[in-house]
Amino acid sequence: MLFYGTTLYGIQTGLCFAVLALGLYISYSILDFPDLSVDGTFPLGGVIATILMLRLGLPPLAAVLLSFFAGVAAGLVTGYLHVRCRISKLLSGIIVMTAMLSVTLALTQLLTKNGYTTAIFSYRSENLKSLFSFASETSLGRGAKDYWIIAVLLVFVIFVKFAIDIFLKTKLGYMLRSTGDNERLVTSLGKDPGKYKILGISLANGLVAMSGALYSQFTLQYDNTSGSGKVVLALASVIIGIAVFSNIRFIKDTTAVIAGALIYSLCLNYLVLVDKNGIYLKLLNAAMFAIILIFNDRLSGLRGLRYKRKGAKRIKEGGSDA
Amino acid sequence: MLELCDIYKTFNRGTVNEQALFTGFSFKANKGDFVSVVGSNGSGKTTMLNVISGSIPIDGGRVTLAGQDITNLPEYKRAAKIGRVFQDPSVGTIPGMTILENMSIAQNKGRPYNLGFAVSKKKYDGFRETVRELDLGLEDKMEIPVGLLSGGQRQAIALLMATMTPISFLILDEHTAALDPKTAEIIMRITDRIVKEKKLTAIMVTHNLRYAVAYGNRMLMLNHGNIVLEKNGDEKSATSVDELLSVFNSISIECGN
Repeated sequence: MLFYGTTLYGIQTGLCFAVLALGLYISYSILDFPDLSVDGTFPLGGVIATILMLRLGLPPLAAVLLSFFAGVAAGLVTGYLHVRCRISKLLSGIIVMTAMLSVTLALTQLLTKNGYTTAIFSYRSENLKSLFSFASETSLGRGAKDYWIIAVLLVFVIFVKFAIDIFLKTKLGYMLRSTGDNERLVTSLGKDPGKYKILGISLANGLVAMSGALYSQFTLQYDNTSGSGKVVLALASVIIGIAVFSNIRFIKDTTAVIAGALIYSLCLNYLVLVDKNGIYLKLLNAAMFAIILIFNDRLSGLRGLRYKRKGAKRIKEGGSDA
Repeated sequence: MLELCDIYKTFNRGTVNEQALFTGFSFKANKGDFVSVVGSNGSGKTTMLNVISGSIPIDGGRVTLAGQDITNLPEYKRAAKIGRVFQDPSVGTIPGMTILENMSIAQNKGRPYNLGFAVSKKKYDGFRETVRELDLGLEDKMEIPVGLLSGGQRQAIALLMATMTPISFLILDEHTAALDPKTAEIIMRITDRIVKEKKLTAIMVTHNLRYAVAYGNRMLMLNHGNIVLEKNGDEKSATSVDELLSVFNSISIECGN
């Protein structure tokens, strides 16, 4: 029974983090930008959505969608620092991540009546409805609610996935992919690759903020420290997803990333079953990530070999796609 | 058409390695010229191309293209009018995308890259026809990622991509240097055909003296940032590879390399 509950919880958090992983897919996998500002924009999305609901009375879905723009704003700063001020990828991420620690703390003051800053704000204390609350909540059992949450999250994640898939097929999306793949060609085409980098990093952080907002709604609280370790979680999801599923031709990268987030989240939750006090959780988390990276490096090489494998298959099939 | 006027360029300024390459370098290409440039390593061939394309800043002088002063334009803005094929075949294409996708994105040059779909089925036949003209059998590999093609095939696609949209000037930066002799020959023939068909003004840097003699209507030899030999039109057609080689050798001996 404990295992069953853990599995459900793992799927739910996995779906919340899938949006986060899709964001990192854009910045890390497409643009080759390991964006550390994620640790800061994740809680930013949570606090913005909570404020929008509590102070402006917006419905939960609108709050989640609007939190996207807060993430975009933070991403713009990261992108600008890297592209225009020529600060290295990692450092520009660290700068924004650090700045966000204060920004989110300042914003939490808006959540409490007397301006008192707390690290955790509970939805229940203010009777705040979340995205997952529904009218006849009390009349249904715990089990039904779990499936309801999964259904809502699944719809949301699939919507985001298709939005990204379609975006990547547009001319703008192609330029984003080209920027990550061969920056000089973008210059040759008469465009400034820096512009596309900033755009991609902004969009990625927008998704990260949405994920933070979703997570807040799911846990029914906003936690100032919820950002810690999110980069590792997201990178692991992206890498697992693509390493495991890249051989299967009909599975798109975005689907693979979502699956990766689910796998990683389930693994983490099963670890909690073993490590009940959660003391070694981050250590196990880090160890798991290291193992994945070592394994992945041996097996494939995330970026380079992917298209080679797929292409090789097509050649074997006689190049009959044409 | 293209004019480099009184160009100054010093590398590593203010260090012990300071090296003044161009001191008042000038060059002019007229419309329809196909200029081949030869010279030993460090003679300033690639720097000259980089000055034209705007990849490196200059210390003084003026660059004009089609009557417009482009000295202060960043590289990506100049690229709207200038096409460039690099020595490294992987620079001219996007390895992770298919031939079709590569060509679609190149054809959109000069127009906005917005939220319209990048690949349209309507263009497919046209692209296939263009690729068929290369005669490399690539028309059956339209859906294969360019990263899987050989260097020569990639370079051919890069050449197509660089010249797909109307450009004022084409830069060929040792674009056959990384290829085997047979493939290099094929790429040179394709280059010549495209330049003639599209009536392009082009400059080609090469280490292959035979290509320098055989292709184009003008030829330059550079040494230490100066033009030491210039042959135009009929005078160039009359030049032999041996003649060029002897000049080349005499310069090398003077410089001690």
